[in-house]
Amino acid sequence: MILKHQRIVFWCLVGCIVLMATLLFLERQRGRERILSLATQMPMDAVAASDEPVTLDLANDTDGSISAEPRQMALPVDASARARALLDQLMAEYSLSGSTHPLQPGSAVAEVFLLPLPMVGYSVNPSAPPLADGSPASTPVAAAIPGPGPVNPGGELAVIDLRSSFVNQHPSGVEVESLTLLSIVGTLHANLPQIEQVRFLVDGQPRETLAGHADLLRTYPSRDTVTTSSGAPQ
Amino acid sequence: MKLNPHAPAALLLFLVAASFRGQAPAAAAPQPAPGPLNRNTIVLDAAHGNVDSGSRIGDSILEKDVTLALAFRLRSLLAARGFTVVMTRENDAALRPGTPGTMLTLDDRAGIANHARAAACLLLHATGSGQGVHLYGSELDAAPAEAAVLPWLTAQAAWIPQSAQLEASLGTALKRAGVPLVSSRASVRPVDSLTCPALVVELAPEGDDRASINDSDYQQRVAEAIAGALIFWSRQVQPPLRLPSERPVPVAATLNTPPGGQP
Repeated sequence: MILKHQRIVFWCLVGCIVLMATLLFLERQRGRERILSLATQMPMDAVAASDEPVTLDLANDTDGSISAEPRQMALPVDASARARALLDQLMAEYSLSGSTHPLQPGSAVAEVFLLPLPMVGYSVNPSAPPLADGSPASTPVAAAIPGPGPVNPGGELAVIDLRSSFVNQHPSGVEVESLTLLSIVGTLHANLPQIEQVRFLVDGQPRETLAGHADLLRTYPSRDTVTTSSGAPQ
Repeated sequence: MKLNPHAPAALLLFLVAASFRGQAPAAAAPQPAPGPLNRNTIVLDAAHGNVDSGSRIGDSILEKDVTLALAFRLRSLLAARGFTVVMTRENDAALRPGTPGTMLTLDDRAGIANHARAAACLLLHATGSGQGVHLYGSELDAAPAEAAVLPWLTAQAAWIPQSAQLEASLGTALKRAGVPLVSSRASVRPVDSLTCPALVVELAPEGDDRASINDSDYQQRVAEAIAGALIFWSRQVQPPLRLPSERPVPVAATLNTPPGGQP
């Protein structure tokens, strides 16, 4: 014969066990997501050993200007990873308190792809013998709507894949949205001169606007977007 | 009756000249000519609408409401001056005609504006930052003439000079009305797809108080300045030259051309 208070204690213990198991499961899931998100923010390549000078084109909402600010930071060797590290640093500056162009903290750039210009496709020729490395022979095919070619040999198109979490939280307005895009374009131009054009995606898909105004479908020419000179020493 | 001795020679010359005139149009290439333009038509695009409320101005003012209010004021003033006004949105939601419940996309709005062949296309926006009116033209580089077939995302290129002139006209009128003015260039959808003199007109508060953006006297002053400037603008605007369409390439020839382009 089990006493009543013993049954109560038993079921209380069972309840505690279930509760603890649920909490452990949820915490495990949360920790896993946190580690995954940190992993996606890491550059794909190992950073260089020493810091190197870079230039960030920082926007200022108060007067609608963009100024070039020198910084020192360690960068990876791979060009795509360098571009992403630069943009991560740019967005980190905007998320600091007291920023002149305040944006929500968090990762903004999922990936940066650098593609050689002009954009061409390849048509596989099955009847031709394969190449030395075993890959099938192919012929370059121009795009259906020819775009602008490179200004210099080796010119590249940077495709910046933004995170929807960043885009959805971006402040809305013609000026504030334009400043964000011009700041990105100017920072890439200042540090990676081989980039001649910049396009934007959001979660891998084209989107019309950043937050209702600035055009995300057009191809932006990479150029110097600085409107005011910085007082900081170079 | 006495016949002029030079008459046969003159008749021969006339016949030779007439025969050459008959051949000339077939031989000469068609020349670029200005495209059609409805000088009395103005397109007003009150930006945003429905679930897309645009930016939030202060605590309770939504951009979509301000743009619609300004569009109604402008429409009244322009209609009183004899203009035909085409609005892309007359209610909170911009709906496609004939398909209830379907919202207009930005490309749909550009399509409406392009079909109107208007003397000016004004994309109305509003913001809580800054003061007065901000005018933005397209960031595209100007093209010398309008091609027969235009890329949708850069259709505005041939109209860049006209848009810059419109920006100068509106800017002068707004300054004369005592409205603070900021002129710049920005890529705002869908201005790059418009085939008309096109500007983004962004209304900001009159002063430090953000609620002044809804002040009826302020909006009326801005609308009257714009409407007055458009009267002079409609008389002076000249559309860009439109290049004649090229002879269509036979489909069979296109299909037989290898990727390298050599037959």
